Amino acid sequence: MSSLPGFFQTYQPPIARALEAFVPASPGGPVVDAMRYTLLAPSKRVRAVLVLLSAELCGSSSRAMPAACAVEAIHASSLILDDLPSMDNAPLRRGRASAHIEFGEAVAILAAFGLLNDAYGHLARAYEPALAARITALYADAVGLDGLVAGQAEDVLATDQGLTFDTLERIHRRKTGVLFSAAATAGALSAGGSADDIVALTAYAKNLGLAFQIVDDLLDVTGTPEETGKAVKSDARKTTFVSFSGVDGARELALELCRTATSALAPFGRRATHLAALADFVAQRRL
Amino acid sequence: MTAGPPTGDVDALRERLRALGYLDARVDRFVLGGAATRGRAVSLAVAASLRIGLLAGVLLGPAAVIGLATRAPGLVTSVTDALVLAAYLTVPFGIASALLACVAILTAGWLARQSASDPAFAARARRAAIAAGLFVAAACLVYLTLWWRAAVPPGAWGAQLLALAVAASIAILIGHVVTISVLAYLVRLGLSGLPMGSPLSSLRVVVPLGVMALGGAMVLLRALAPQADPVVQTAPLTVVPTGVRVVVVAVDGVDVTTLTRLRSGGNLPTFDRLLGGSTAPLAVSIDRDPAQVWTTLATGQPVERHGIRALEGRQLAGVEGRVGAGSRLTTATDLLRLTRPTIASGDDRRVPTFWEVAATAGLRTAVVHWWATWPATEASLATVLSDRAILRLEQGGALAGEMAPAGVYEPLRQSAASRTARVDARVAGVADGLAPDIAAIVDRSARLDATVLDLATDAALGGQDLLTMYLPGLDIAQHALFPESPAESLAPAAAAERVRALDGYYAFLDRVIGATVLRDAPPSLVTMLVTQPGRVAVGPATASGSVLALAGPIAATGHVETMALSAEALAPTVLRVLGVPVAADLAATAADALVTPAFMQAFPVRPVATYGERRTRPAASTGQPLDREMIERMRSLGYVR
Repeated sequence: MSSLPGFFQTYQPPIARALEAFVPASPGGPVVDAMRYTLLAPSKRVRAVLVLLSAELCGSSSRAMPAACAVEAIHASSLILDDLPSMDNAPLRRGRASAHIEFGEAVAILAAFGLLNDAYGHLARAYEPALAARITALYADAVGLDGLVAGQAEDVLATDQGLTFDTLERIHRRKTGVLFSAAATAGALSAGGSADDIVALTAYAKNLGLAFQIVDDLLDVTGTPEETGKAVKSDARKTTFVSFSGVDGARELALELCRTATSALAPFGRRATHLAALADFVAQRRL
Repeated sequence: MTAGPPTGDVDALRERLRALGYLDARVDRFVLGGAATRGRAVSLAVAASLRIGLLAGVLLGPAAVIGLATRAPGLVTSVTDALVLAAYLTVPFGIASALLACVAILTAGWLARQSASDPAFAARARRAAIAAGLFVAAACLVYLTLWWRAAVPPGAWGAQLLALAVAASIAILIGHVVTISVLAYLVRLGLSGLPMGSPLSSLRVVVPLGVMALGGAMVLLRALAPQADPVVQTAPLTVVPTGVRVVVVAVDGVDVTTLTRLRSGGNLPTFDRLLGGSTAPLAVSIDRDPAQVWTTLATGQPVERHGIRALEGRQLAGVEGRVGAGSRLTTATDLLRLTRPTIASGDDRRVPTFWEVAATAGLRTAVVHWWATWPATEASLATVLSDRAILRLEQGGALAGEMAPAGVYEPLRQSAASRTARVDARVAGVADGLAPDIAAIVDRSARLDATVLDLATDAALGGQDLLTMYLPGLDIAQHALFPESPAESLAPAAAAERVRALDGYYAFLDRVIGATVLRDAPPSLVTMLVTQPGRVAVGPATASGSVLALAGPIAATGHVETMALSAEALAPTVLRVLGVPVAADLAATAADALVTPAFMQAFPVRPVATYGERRTRPAASTGQPLDREMIERMRSLGYVR
């Protein structure tokens, strides 16, 4: 079993503190509780760490935390919606009952919208207008009609239907890859990264995002609920990468994608050690 | 299960992922990298085009050097030359490719936008992007094929396939980056729904396309390839001894009218002797470039064959090889220190001279001070005191191709003092009674000619079957005394003194030739005098013609040819007289009318197909070439500006 790279322990606590502040417990109420339940649930915080590491590579992560919190909030909202009975109808998430199980479907939906709304508001308040506009637009694109929403729609509508490989890639890209790329780009933008930095990081995130999703598919086939923190074999009715390539082939492709992600970091040299370790982790992960 | 790659076909999935921009897409990232943060679509197109230009320049520049090296012999003399030239060529090719790519991207984008509201927009946009990429790829492929057409020898199938495979790869790569740039441009325009990836990322497309490109390039290459010359074997040259020795005296700057006038006074006995056999006018070349004209005379081939186009060339900064000179562009590049003047070199000559042919045939031959004979190469087998030999003897130091074989250098250097004394004695009185400035010109020219003649008769050269020398003094003096058309801008008295100085120079030449190469000449000696009117006689109004005169036992004494011979006739005539077979591919035949019928009968023409190409093994060289000194010398003598 692969464990999280050590540097995660450096980043996770400040991210956790920032997320605590992102949705304060006060004034409370079911929607806030549901938001906090999902947002603060035990998680690796891969996307938030990606924002911070990308910012560090491009100079400094001192201004990246709002973008990191926003991407985690967007991700959390997508998880709530993804688990709904009308979507994947998943009972488990992050080792706990899904939000709609815990708080009811209506509250869960409102919590998802609350998180999404707060993410954009947080960005608007944290950055100067030009940068806020760029990162907000970036995240909005990642969520929108060529991002999470489109990916989720296609995914839901494709259940029990055969998919072409290109369609499956498009779903994965929109559901996972786009937000990974947006996270890396947002980190770079917050640190004033150059165009070439952004292109390299985007390539890294694009390959890493797909690898992440392929490994997810693999874990759904080979993992246990204890390992993954969510229900397994839930994708049995869906076409996944494993459907096309088999378990070994999917693992092979995931490894190659992670290697490609690492090679895209070549312009940064040794400074990119942490991101390279993150790619290694994704390739080996069992949780 | 679904349409798509079959389960377990990981290779197919990998291929598809690559086409969708995953796995290795470094070139794509490089091309689109500069455009990542630019706002406007046009900015993206321009930024991507600049990077495509950089990529294409880096790939096409070295490719162009290969073709250029073949088309401009002498330009690329080493790997360093090739690298420096490639660096130079990267710039224009990069700019041209960037412009082409930008036009292709914007045009394809514009065409795609025309159908933005069409339901089939995505397919059309994709087609437009592919078409733009293929257009640029085709342009690159045609260009590379045409360049390498010159570089790859006809019939060398392996080399052709390799060259064209490289060309096809470069072309497809550039076509691919243009395609992805068009797609990125359309996305930046806000047009959504475009399919991901470029088809030129997929091996399933690239391999058949590459095969088609390779086939097309092969067809193009075959269709446009120059007709290969039939393979002509250079047969060993067998000399039939004719029993004569030949001395070729080449005098530049001779005005035939003046020579005739002076001979009528009975004061030029040596010229009388040289011209007392048979004579023929030589066709006067309007182009007075001495390196070109005298190389034509020496090789029997026109400038297109021998390759020496001009005395003055240009050397690119950092490159040993040379290119032609004379354009306004080179004036500008001189000012920018990108180029510098250089003197015509034997490295640029592609065919052998008559003394090299005779030496190859086994005769003992020597040449002194002929144009474009530096660097002297021992491969020629002749004894060569090149056009830089006198400079080397003056400057001292180790040889750098100034003479060959290298063994002649030391004895010539040791005899420098006695040679100077002899030259002093021979030029004594040549400038008496002249104004100081005129006297200086005449004295300098006379010393140069006297030195050439003294070297030609130095014992270090040994006995020769063929001795050839070039005397520049009269041309130098004439050019200095009458820099423009003769006498027009001078006062009558000044012009008269200069004419008198030149008349005196003819007498000096007559005396010094007689006292050196013709002194104690055996009866079997055949002399050949060849003259050119020199640089002053520009244009038909003042051209006074050239002469080829043959004297000696085999000369058809008294014969005066009325039809002008071409300048290329000298070389075959010399070789014919020496009993060397005459090559059929020379630009002229021997001037048979100048020799006796008995000689003709005894030694009929023996043709060979060709003398082949010049052998250019580098001369043994340990010293520094006297490039700068040579330029200064040529400048002081009025040859270069």
